[in-house]
Amino acid sequence: MTRTSGKKLRYLLASGALALTAVLSACGGGGSSASGGDVTINFLHWRGEDVKTLDTIIDKFEAANPTIKVEMQTLPSDQYQSTAQAKLSDGSVGDVFASFPGAQFDALSKAGAFTDLSGASFLKNFNSELIATGQKDGKQLAVPYQLVYNDPIYNVKLFEKYGLTPPKDWEGFLALCQKLKDNGIIPIAFAGADIGPGQFMNTMVMNNEPSDDIFEKVEAGEAKLTDEFWVKTLTQIKELNDKGYFQPDALGTKDAAAGALFIQEKAGMLASGSYQLAQNAAQNPELEQGLLAPITVSADQAKYEGVHTSTFMLAVNSKSKHPEEAKKFLEYLSQKDVASEYANATGQNVTVDGVTYDSPELKVAEDWTSKKTLFQPRFTIKNGDNQKAVTNSIQAVLGGSTPEEAAQEAQAVIDQNLSKS
Amino acid sequence: MNIKRLKHKRALWLFLLPGTLLYLFLFAYPTLSGLFYSFTDWDGVSDSYRMIGLDNYKDSFESLVFRKTLLNNVKFMLSVVIVQTIVSLVLAMLLSRNTKTRVFLRALFFLPAILSSVSVGLIWSFVYDPTIGMLNLGLRGVGLDSLTQNWIGDRHIALYAIAAVQVWAHAGQMMIVFIAGLQAIPSELYESARIDGGSRMQLFRHITWPLLAPASAIVIAYTTIQSFKAFDLIFVMTDGGPNNATEILSTYIYHTAFGNYQFGLASAGSMIFLVVLAVLTYLQFKALRTDRAA
Repeated sequence: MTRTSGKKLRYLLASGALALTAVLSACGGGGSSASGGDVTINFLHWRGEDVKTLDTIIDKFEAANPTIKVEMQTLPSDQYQSTAQAKLSDGSVGDVFASFPGAQFDALSKAGAFTDLSGASFLKNFNSELIATGQKDGKQLAVPYQLVYNDPIYNVKLFEKYGLTPPKDWEGFLALCQKLKDNGIIPIAFAGADIGPGQFMNTMVMNNEPSDDIFEKVEAGEAKLTDEFWVKTLTQIKELNDKGYFQPDALGTKDAAAGALFIQEKAGMLASGSYQLAQNAAQNPELEQGLLAPITVSADQAKYEGVHTSTFMLAVNSKSKHPEEAKKFLEYLSQKDVASEYANATGQNVTVDGVTYDSPELKVAEDWTSKKTLFQPRFTIKNGDNQKAVTNSIQAVLGGSTPEEAAQEAQAVIDQNLSKS
Repeated sequence: MNIKRLKHKRALWLFLLPGTLLYLFLFAYPTLSGLFYSFTDWDGVSDSYRMIGLDNYKDSFESLVFRKTLLNNVKFMLSVVIVQTIVSLVLAMLLSRNTKTRVFLRALFFLPAILSSVSVGLIWSFVYDPTIGMLNLGLRGVGLDSLTQNWIGDRHIALYAIAAVQVWAHAGQMMIVFIAGLQAIPSELYESARIDGGSRMQLFRHITWPLLAPASAIVIAYTTIQSFKAFDLIFVMTDGGPNNATEILSTYIYHTAFGNYQFGLASAGSMIFLVVLAVLTYLQFKALRTDRAA
């Protein structure tokens, strides 16, 4: 009798312990702990490749602010979209956190995840135009830290060899592509399977669109993708494809493979953005690179020279228990010398004013700050489904659909989303 | 004696507890909360949400993308089930006898099954690349230029190109099941049939195939569910593209929830997915049982 109940107890304990471990491990995952009078803030972002640089910056910050400790946590960027919000919502992590512009910023601001930073003194350290993407309803909710130009990259030496210069209009762009093609060079390496459509659409549409808020109008039902601006954009992309200015079967080519064509100097241009410059240079130090946006209209009608994106939008979690300390850290990051250190060590351009860049790749992008650029049109599409419908229509024309069909198919998805809301 | 046994039995029930708790916690609870969220418009981020009844289900069935997705799922599943079953059966028949070469070949064909599917997807993405990929380069190398394809970029063949990878990765695994089935067939049956003058085809039709039925049922059931649930290969190789040509239910649910912040809608998609899978499993299970009884 006693033996059985003893056994029972053991069974119970054992199974109880097991269940408890399961529960505990499920609840586990970061949490900030403070020791003594110190405050620990958690910095959540997706730039795993920047951790080393940020670690040194954090060390210096902690030395200057001995009562604050910063613990950093990173997630891969694709997971960041999916897991960040859940982590942020209880305030245990991400006192300071980064977000993507567009759909994620929109969803997080609707959920009230941001502390209003309007009027903070450190905002004046930034280029005010570039951080406007972090505003919503007149409030500065987040501060974009990185600056990317989503313009195709070109091989400067190859262009010089064939006497080519960045063209000013569509005719010029087609002639340039033809010249490269005639010389056995792939004019544009295009990653049609993944990032290509989403990157290339920006410069292709920037001068075709009748207004900067055209995609907002499309999402509101006030304009349609079957309107001239998008059909024309699709027609021009199809023209490039049909004339063989992309590598063959561009739709099956992924990011890395398209990059390889450019790095090996088999292609004259790469339809990506300035974020790729440093990586290309690392793989082929001989490469001399520039940025060039196709102008899809005549020279006198061109409104923009290129497209920029301010991203890595830093913010203070509205659920943070230490908002003042979190702001202090943001302020530190916004200092000119700190931002320079970050930029030069990571190869990323930043939105902070007065930063000095050392590498040729960063300087290439720096030259663009004086040009007339438009904030990435794709990110003005707030609904992820709609964004996908738009980039899918590019894949559709490359796959053989007519521009009209492709635009109609995409518009059908948008109409459906419109009827839902 | 009997009483002691009974007590013992009662204690044995406790062994069920850890498993039950894990099942409740890791399966039942998420499923039920998924069911609950499928009636809401939760975005996955906010604290608040509204109950919207069956709207998510209605939207799903009306959605152009969802319908395309469902059709893709069926196409993918059918092609994998048919090709994988035939390929693994043929391999099994060729390799069922225990010789050194055959055992080695079996191990070789089984190898892809132990690779992570993400690696498999990445490897094949490079093989399929139209410009620098091994497949097209190889075809050009032997003068078969006309056979080169834009394997995962052409909307008409991308889904089947991925299905082929799925078969490549899992045919070896299914081959093992078939070999086990083949080795369980008594050799006397073949001997006597041969003495009676049975041809090879007759041997297969009247002995091998009927006696292999239980193994085939397992292979088909397993392959059906496995291919219906496929996610990783598609996610890695095309992420549903080009233009949704390879989007299947599992990737659609992922994109809806995490790319588009529509958790409610994605939950409804998951529930539909669950029902379809449950029905499929039930039908398969029935088929499996009848085979066993026969």
